[in-house]
Amino acid sequence: MPAVVVEHLAKSYEGNQAVEDVTFEVAEGEVFALLGPNGAGKTTVIEILEGFRRRDRGRVEVLGYDPANQGTSRELREHMGVVLQELAVEPFLSVRQALTRNAGYYPNPRPVDEVLELVGLSEKSDDRVKSLSGGQQRRLDLGLGIVGSPRLLFLDEPTTGFDPSARRGAWEVVRALTGGGTTVVLTTHYMDEAEALADRVAVIDAGRIVAEGAPGSLGGRDVGETTIRFRLPGTAGAPPLPVDARVSGGGAFEIKTDREVEVLAALTNWALREQVDVVGLTVERLTLEDVYLRLTGHAPDAGDPSGAAERQ
Amino acid sequence: MTRGPATGGHTRAMGDVVLMARQVYYEQLNFWLNPIGAVFTVGFSVIFLLLVGSSAGHQRSSALGGGLLISYYVPGFIAYGVMAACFNSLTINLVVRREMGLLKRVRLSPLPAWAMMAAVSANALIISVVQVVLVLLIGRFGYGVPFPHNLLALVVVLVVGAASFTALGLGTSTLVPNQEAGAPITSVVFFVLLFLSGLWFPLAASSGLAKFSSYLPVRHMIVAVYDASIAQKGVSSWPWHDLVVMAAWGVVAAAVAARRWSWAPRQARSGRGRRLSGTGAAGRRRSQ
Repeated sequence: MPAVVVEHLAKSYEGNQAVEDVTFEVAEGEVFALLGPNGAGKTTVIEILEGFRRRDRGRVEVLGYDPANQGTSRELREHMGVVLQELAVEPFLSVRQALTRNAGYYPNPRPVDEVLELVGLSEKSDDRVKSLSGGQQRRLDLGLGIVGSPRLLFLDEPTTGFDPSARRGAWEVVRALTGGGTTVVLTTHYMDEAEALADRVAVIDAGRIVAEGAPGSLGGRDVGETTIRFRLPGTAGAPPLPVDARVSGGGAFEIKTDREVEVLAALTNWALREQVDVVGLTVERLTLEDVYLRLTGHAPDAGDPSGAAERQ
Repeated sequence: MTRGPATGGHTRAMGDVVLMARQVYYEQLNFWLNPIGAVFTVGFSVIFLLLVGSSAGHQRSSALGGGLLISYYVPGFIAYGVMAACFNSLTINLVVRREMGLLKRVRLSPLPAWAMMAAVSANALIISVVQVVLVLLIGRFGYGVPFPHNLLALVVVLVVGAASFTALGLGTSTLVPNQEAGAPITSVVFFVLLFLSGLWFPLAASSGLAKFSSYLPVRHMIVAVYDASIAQKGVSSWPWHDLVVMAAWGVVAAAVAARRWSWAPRQARSGRGRRLSGTGAAGRRRSQ
C-alpha cells in the first residue's frame, strides 16, 4: 500500500486556484519532494495531506486514512509527524521538557534521549529553548516532529532561512530517519535540497505537477544534451569537431551536444596530436536547476540561503 | 492499533484525562517560567495591594459610604486577578502561540483540540485561584480586612467571572491581528477598562463613568466581587444582575471565538521569506 495517494486534487481560496489538478503517489519508505517556486501550491498540498485544510476536489489517502475525515484524524495524527515552515517552539520550557510533553501525545513515542541524540541536542537538553541558536531551535523542531516515531513525516521547507552548515545538519537528521524506513514528504524550493534528500521529485508550478521522477533523471537530464566548455590559446587553429561550436573572445568554446563522447574523442585526439594546450575543459550535464527553469519558466525565488528576500 | 471497542473507549477516556492533566502541568510550567507573564499577572495584584494598603488603605471614601479604601481594594484585586489571568494573559498567550505556529503544531498533533482548550482554561483558572487566595490572605492578615461575608456567593461570582473572561480572552485573541500588537493592544484596552470601571478608585453609583462602564463586563466583575465580600446595608450579597451581564458578554465572546477561531498564523512572519500559504496569511499580510 502506498503511504500517500493523491488523485486530481484541487483547492482554491477566494477564487484563487491554488491547486489545479495534482496527482502523485508516495511509496512506503520513500522520500518524496515537492519542488516548486513560491506560490506554486506546495504548502496547500501538504496542508491538505496533513488534514489541516479541506480539499475542494479529488481523492487523498494518507496511511490509508482520508485526512479530511474528522473521525479518524486523531489516529492519523498519531502516525504522522509534522515540521512546519516556521519555527514553532515555546521559549520558556527546556529542550527536554518540550520533547517530553509532546512525546506524551503519542501512543508509541520514541525515547526522548534517543531523539536528543538524533537531533544532536543531548548537551543542550536542560537549556531553555529561547537560549538556543536558530539552527538548534530548528533541530528541536525536527525532534518534535519525530518524537512520536511517525510512519510518515511532513517537512514543509525544512531549511528555508538556514546557513549552509545548519542545512547540512538538518539533512543529516532526515537521512538518519529515512534510514529507519520513515516515509518523508517534503516541500522545498532548493534544488540541492531535493537532490540531496529525495528519492523522487515532483516539480509543481501554478498548481500543477509539471514533471516527476528521480532527481538524477528528472526532465531527461540523464539523457539530454551535455555542455562542453574549454579554451584554446590564440595560436592554435580550430579543432576538427563533428558538431558546431560557439566560440567567443579569448578562444572560449562552448558546445551543446548529445554526442559528447564523439566530440571529446575528436578534441582530445587532435590536441594530443597537435600538442595544443586545452585549458579549463569541463563537461556538464543539465543541472536540476536548468531542468527546473525550463519546466517552470522562472527562477526559484527566495533562493538566497539567508532567506532574507521576502516577497511583499 | 487493535483496541476492543468497549475497553478501548474506556482506556482512551482514561488516557485523555491523564493527557489533559499533563497538559495543565506543562501550561503551569510554561506560565511560571515566563517572568514577564508571572509578574504582570500575579505579581501586579500583590504588589499593588501592598502599596495601596501601606499608603491610602486606611482613608475613608465617600463613594463607599464612608468605608475604608482597603476593603474596596481587596475585592477589587480579587476581581483583577481573575480578569488578568483569564482575559489579559490568556489573550496575549493565544495570539503569540497562534502567530508563532504553536497552535497549528498542536492541531497537527494527536492532542485533541478540546484537551488543549480545557488545559489553557484550567491554567487560567489555577492562576486566578492563586491570586484570589494571596489577596485574601494579605487583606486579612496584613490589613485586617475580614474574609468575604458570603463565601458561596463569592465562589459563584468567581466561577461565572472566570468563565466569562476566559471566553472574552478566546474571543479577543481572534480579533488581534498579529503578535507585535498582541500585548500592547490587549493590555492597553484592559487597563483603560479597569480605570473606567473604577478599579483604582471607587466610583459613586450615580456617576457618569459608573453608568458608562456598566455596559462593559469589567465593572460588573469588580462590583460583584465587592458585593459578595463586603456587607452593605440594603445591598444583596448575591449580585445577580452583574452575573447576568458578565455571562451575556461571555456568550457573545464565545460565539465570536467559535466563528473566527484560527489555528494558523494570520500573518506571515517577517523574519523568513514567506509566500501564499493559505487563506489568512496571504490576504492579511502586513503592508509596510
